[in-house]
Amino acid sequence: MEYQVFVDKLFELGKKEGFSDMEVYFQEDKNFQATVFNQEVDKFSISEVAGLSFRGLSNGKMGYAYTEILDDASIDMLVREAKANAAAIESEDKVDIAAPQTGYQTIDGYSQDLGLVSKADKIEFLKKVEEEAKSLDDRVKSLSYNLFMETEGEIRIANTKGMNLSEKQNLGIAYINVLAVSGEENKTGHALVLDRDFKAFDYKAVAKKAVEETVSQFGAKPVASKSYPVILKNECAGDLLGAFSSVFNAENVQKDLSLMKGKLAEAVASDLVNLIDNPFMDGGYGNRSFDAEGTPAKRTNLIEKGVLTSFLHNNKTALKDGIESTGNASKGSYKSSIGISASNLYIEPTKTTFDELIDLEEAMVITSLQGLHSGLNPISGDFSLAANGFLVENGKISRAVDQITVAGNLKDLLLNIEGVGNDLEFSLPSGSAYVASPSLRIKSLAIAGE
Amino acid sequence: MLNESIVKEVLQAALSTGGDFAEIFVEDRHDNHISMIGEKIETSNAGRTYGAGIRIFNGNNSIYGYTNDTSRENLIKVAKEVATSIAGVDKNLGIDLVKKCTTVINPIKIMPNEVSKNQKIDWLKIAANEAKTYSKEITQVTGRYMDYVQNILVANSEGVYAEDQRVRTRLNVGAVASANGEMQTGGQDIGAHLGMEIYNDEALKAIGREAARVATTMAHAELCPSGKMSAVIDNGFGGVIFHEACGHGLEATSVAKGTSVYTGKLGQKIASDVVTAIDDGTIANGWGSFNVNDEGELPTKNVLLENGVLKSYMIDKLGARRMNMAQTGAGRRQSYQFAPTSRMTNTYIAAGESTHDEIIKNTEYGIYAKRMGGGSVNPATGDFNFAVLEGYIVKDGEIKEPVRGATLIGTGLEVIQKIDMVGNELAHGQGMCGSSSGSIPAWVGQPMVRVSEITVGGRK
Repeated sequence: MEYQVFVDKLFELGKKEGFSDMEVYFQEDKNFQATVFNQEVDKFSISEVAGLSFRGLSNGKMGYAYTEILDDASIDMLVREAKANAAAIESEDKVDIAAPQTGYQTIDGYSQDLGLVSKADKIEFLKKVEEEAKSLDDRVKSLSYNLFMETEGEIRIANTKGMNLSEKQNLGIAYINVLAVSGEENKTGHALVLDRDFKAFDYKAVAKKAVEETVSQFGAKPVASKSYPVILKNECAGDLLGAFSSVFNAENVQKDLSLMKGKLAEAVASDLVNLIDNPFMDGGYGNRSFDAEGTPAKRTNLIEKGVLTSFLHNNKTALKDGIESTGNASKGSYKSSIGISASNLYIEPTKTTFDELIDLEEAMVITSLQGLHSGLNPISGDFSLAANGFLVENGKISRAVDQITVAGNLKDLLLNIEGVGNDLEFSLPSGSAYVASPSLRIKSLAIAGE
Repeated sequence: MLNESIVKEVLQAALSTGGDFAEIFVEDRHDNHISMIGEKIETSNAGRTYGAGIRIFNGNNSIYGYTNDTSRENLIKVAKEVATSIAGVDKNLGIDLVKKCTTVINPIKIMPNEVSKNQKIDWLKIAANEAKTYSKEITQVTGRYMDYVQNILVANSEGVYAEDQRVRTRLNVGAVASANGEMQTGGQDIGAHLGMEIYNDEALKAIGREAARVATTMAHAELCPSGKMSAVIDNGFGGVIFHEACGHGLEATSVAKGTSVYTGKLGQKIASDVVTAIDDGTIANGWGSFNVNDEGELPTKNVLLENGVLKSYMIDKLGARRMNMAQTGAGRRQSYQFAPTSRMTNTYIAAGESTHDEIIKNTEYGIYAKRMGGGSVNPATGDFNFAVLEGYIVKDGEIKEPVRGATLIGTGLEVIQKIDMVGNELAHGQGMCGSSSGSIPAWVGQPMVRVSEITVGGRK
C-alpha cells in the first residue's frame, strides 16, 4: 500500500478506536556494502528496507507499535497493539503529540554525487587499500576487515496536529582493520573514514594510518601496576565519553539513574572542559534539522568551563522540568519508543598540541580501549577497561604497551582533566550519537599490568 | 510463508549470472517489549518484522541482498540485482526442493499471545517488588520484559526447504543501591527458548532478590586490587570467559581467513587437560537453541576441545567452502537483514571433578568472580576482556571481603592453558552475542573454574 494511503487509513481507524492524537515515524533506508579480501569481493550486499512506527494518545497515555509491512492487516495490528500498550502505561509523566513548529534550520546532509560513483569504483578503492597496506610493511599479513558501506536514509514524521516533516541523509563509510604478524606477535590496527564526498576516500592515507597504528604496537608489553598520568588519545577519549553519554540524558536524571542528578550549576569537570551538543557542527556526522519528535534541533552547552549547565531533553522530560526541549528526542529505529540522545557530542578543542600534552616525566598514552559495553557502569561511573597504548618517558613516547587495564570513575576523571588537546576527532560510531573529542590529559588513573 | 514455486523462481533468478549456490531466507517475527522504572510501566511496544534476504555464492565469495517487499516481482528483481555483481553465465543448476523433516527439540507449552499484557506486567512487578523491598538501600529498580515469536523459512538451490518457529522470552530486573554517596548496580534475568511456562512466582522473586543482593553487596565493596593473581570464576554466566577467550576464535569467520590465533591448530593440545568445551545447539529449550538454523541445517552437539585438544571449529556453509570442511550447523543471523555466518549457540566448558569448596580451599590468593558481566575479544590477537560484576578477595582458601570495579584481561591461548581446576556443577546464563551477522541469543556456561594466573584490572 502506498505510504500516504496507509497513514490516512491508520489515522482514521485510530480515531475510531479512541486515540485523541496520533503520529507516524517512517524510516526508509538503502544500503550498499562490500568487503574485499585478497583482491576479491568476498562480501557484497544491497538492501532497501522501510519501517513505520505508530504512536498515539489513548486516555492520556502513549501507546507504540511498529511494522515493516504496509498492508491492511498491519493497520489493524498497529491500532490494536498501540491501544493495549497505552493501557499498560502507569508512569504519570505527561506526554503529548507535538504541534507543528517553526525555526527549522536546514542542513547539508545529502550528496547526490556519492550515489553516482559506481559500485565498481568503490570496490576498486578497497582493492587499492589492500594492495597499498600490504606494500607498506612486510609484516602486514591481511586485512581482517576492508569494508566500504554507503547508507542513504529518509525520515518522515507526520501527525494529526498537522506536523509533516521529512529529511534525507546519506553517508559513505570505510572501515579498515589490518593484521600484521611478526614472530609470535599478532597486532591489529584500524582506519575509519566517514564522508559524503568520495574524494575524501584516499586509499593511500587510509592504508598508511591503519598500517602505522598496527606496526607501532610490535614489542608491546605490560607496565608495572600503579597510578599514572594518562593521555587519552582523541578517538579513545571520544569512545569513553560516548559510553558515558547517558549520564546527561534527562530521563535518567529524573529517574535516579544518573550520577549527574542534582549537579546543575555545579562544577562537575575541570574548568578546561566545554561539552557541547551541536546538530549543526562543521563536519559533524550527526547533523539534523529536527529530532524524533519534530522539535527543531539546536545547540546545547552541557558543560561550560567545568560547570554543568544543561541535560539533554525531549518533550516529556522538558515538560517535567518546566523547560523547553533541547531537541534531543531520539529513536534508535522505527522499532524503538522515543528516548533521548545527543546529535554531535564533543569536548571543545583548545590550542594545546599533543606533544605538549605528553610533556611529562612518566605517563601512559592510551590509544585503544576495549570492553566499553561491559567494563563500564554509567550509573556508578566506575570503569575498568582493557587498553593498549604507549609509555611516555621524559616527554617522549618510549615503547608500546599492551595487556593493561585502565580504571577509574567518571566523576574523578572529569574533574582531573589537566589538558585538552587541539586534535578533535570523531570516534567509531556506536549507538545513535556521534561523539568527538580532542586528546585529554588526566592527572591520574589506575593502570593494572604486571 | 512463501510458496515453493515462487521460491524456485527467485533462486533461479539469483543464479542467472553464474552463481553456484542461492538461498532465500524469509522472516516474520512479532515482538513485545515492556519496560518499567520505579515500579511503574514506562514503555510498552510491540511490532512486526517482516522481510527476506537472498544470498548467492560464487565460489568462495558471497553476495547478499534484503528487502521487506516480498512480492514475487520484487524478490525476483532483488535476486537479479544482487546477481549483477557476478559476471558469469547461468550454470542451469536444477533445483528440486525437498521439505526438511525436523524434530521439535524446543517444545513450547504456552505461546506469548496466549497470555495478557497485564499478566506480563504482573510478572515484572512481582520480581521488581522483591528487589525494592530487599533493603532500604535500594533506591531504584528497573525491569524489562520481552518475548518474540520468529517464523522463518530457508530454501536453497541444493534443495533445502526448511521452516522453524523460535519462541524466546526474557525478563530482567536491575537494582540500584545507594550507600555513602555511591550508587552501585545489580541485575539478574530469566530467559530461554521457551513459552510463558517459564514464569512462576518463585523464579520471579528469586531474580528480584538476586539483583538487589548484588547491588547492596557492591555498594559496600572496596575497590578491587590490581595485578596478576588467581581467579576463581563461578558457574553460569562465568562461561563468558570461554566464549570470549576461545569461542569467537573458533568461528569459521576468522579461522577461514587465517585471521584467528586458532587457525591451523586442529588436533593440537591448546588448553590444559581439564578443559573440555562444547557448543551444543541441541539443548532442549536452551536460550541459544533452535530446531533448524538460519541456513536450513540442523543444530549439532559440537565438541570443540576435548581434554585440551582442539577437535573442531564452528563452521557455516560459506566457511565450509573456504575451509574445505563440513558445516557444523553454526549458520546463524539476527534477522533477514544479515547474511548468516558461523556463530555460537550454547557454548560451555563441560563439568569436571572438583567441588566448589575444593577450588576455594586450594586458592591461596586471588579474586573470586561470583558474577560476570559481558566482554569482548579481538580474534586476530586473542586479546580478551570481561567485567566482574560481583567479586571477592580469596585469601588462604577462604572467601573474604567484596570488591568492585574489576575487569579481567588476557590472551585466549594463554588463559585456556591456565585453567587448572574445573568444578562439577555446570550452569548456563543468557547472553546476547554480537558479531558480523548481528546480535543473537547465546548461552554461555561452565562449572566453577580456576585460572591459575590472570591480570586483574582494579583501581588499587
